[in-house]
Amino acid sequence: MKRYLILGIIAVVMMMFTGCGYNTIQQNEEVVKAAWGDVEATYQRRNDLIPNLVETVKAYAKHEQETLQAVTEARAKVGTVQVSKDMIGSPQAMAQFQQAQSTMGGALSRLLLVAERYPDLKANQNFRDLQNQLEGTENRINVARTRYNQTVQNFNTSIRTFPNNLTNSLILKLQPKEVYKADPGADKAPKVKF
Amino acid sequence: MRVGKGSGKNGAAIIKSRGKASLARPPGLFFIASLVFLVCAGSARGLDVPPLKGYVNDYANLMSRETRARLEQELKDFERSDSTQVVILTVESLEGDVLESFSIKVAETWKIGQKGKDNGVILLAVKKERKTRIEVGRGLEGRLTDLTAGRIVQLVINPQFKRGDFDAGFLSGIRAVIDATRGEFKADKVKRASSTRGIVSSFMPLIVFGAVCLLILGRISRPLGAGAGLIGFPLFGSMLGLPLVAIIFLGFLGLSLGIFLPLFFGGPFGGAGGYRHGVWGAGDGFSNGGFDDGGFGGSGGDFGGGGASGDW
Repeated sequence: MKRYLILGIIAVVMMMFTGCGYNTIQQNEEVVKAAWGDVEATYQRRNDLIPNLVETVKAYAKHEQETLQAVTEARAKVGTVQVSKDMIGSPQAMAQFQQAQSTMGGALSRLLLVAERYPDLKANQNFRDLQNQLEGTENRINVARTRYNQTVQNFNTSIRTFPNNLTNSLILKLQPKEVYKADPGADKAPKVKF
Repeated sequence: MRVGKGSGKNGAAIIKSRGKASLARPPGLFFIASLVFLVCAGSARGLDVPPLKGYVNDYANLMSRETRARLEQELKDFERSDSTQVVILTVESLEGDVLESFSIKVAETWKIGQKGKDNGVILLAVKKERKTRIEVGRGLEGRLTDLTAGRIVQLVINPQFKRGDFDAGFLSGIRAVIDATRGEFKADKVKRASSTRGIVSSFMPLIVFGAVCLLILGRISRPLGAGAGLIGFPLFGSMLGLPLVAIIFLGFLGLSLGIFLPLFFGGPFGGAGGYRHGVWGAGDGFSNGGFDDGGFGGSGGDFGGGGASGDW
């Protein structure tokens, strides 16, 4: 009889943990963190391309100091924003990060627009290669952001629906995560076709 | 937003028209009609991903029959030696969709490439918009970089497409992709066994849990245990999205567990070792059931938006 009781208790405890969403919430949070890591990595990738791009453009378009300056400054600013896995729960940190990245994106598309005016630059193989890489990176950023937002939606739903909301408010006490809002005009990759 | 508003209007129209027509027609019909309308409205957004037929999915009929057969063979051989999956898709038109977002949608649906290696490549050509894209799986981003993919698109494929020579464009493009990715991965023989073992080990807690429930129910009454096994196991299976064969198999497994488990432990509870043995045996049977249907399909490769596009 005692064995039944023990087996029964084990069964009930297992049911409770799967039924109340404790495991689901934890898993979803890890997925969100991983997706955020991807977002950061793709932005980092863009950042790494910039010095090379600036150098190449500088060689052909010496008179565009202002635009080049703006890109360099934006890049420096992105570097100062603290990024960490915790920031996805904090609206201010997210807003700051997004602000910096969108300034960066704006400066970059202005630079590419300027490059249109220099035929020699456009014909330069190095510049074309950089453009290829930049296009690819912008696309990756889009993909990573979309996926991150999906995981956030999934996580936020999982902590708000019954009975998971009880589990969360009593045991886990996790905050809803912030989605990556599309910044005006930056929702599509800058088109740099020739 | 817009859909919600539309359905609200639709609902109002239904109520209004029902006042007149309620005698003539059953109200359920309106409900069904509006449901159908809503479903259609939902699916009309963007271009649907066509089904994966093989290595070459030439929906826009750009290739000749011989080229298709030749590419099919080449890509099959390449997967056999390197396990890297390269797939071609041609579509008539994007129907307003953006090339890159359609491409990643295809990648996410088809899951080309081996799971864990993420070694899939999709070559996409759109006839009407005259666009080409190479979508590269995460595992191949080191070899087939955006740069390499961009050069293949812009220097190898597109010039030939521009001339209207699609056969040559696909043949040389695919060859360039294969050359760029060859040697990055090797096909391994033990892959299948290890992946089924992974599946079994992830289901193990569920099976053990189910067996414990069945044991308790079966001790109360044998038909109850058998019935619970027959219904409960397949139910679990269908909730996990398993194929029909596996679900039927689970049904038998549940039925036999429901009948025999209480028989084995009919006496006093003492044989913990025997218990474990019985359950693991069942688990092995499950794994041998397998999901391998021998057909072609993506194996769970992951894509992160790498690759390059170009116009022709």
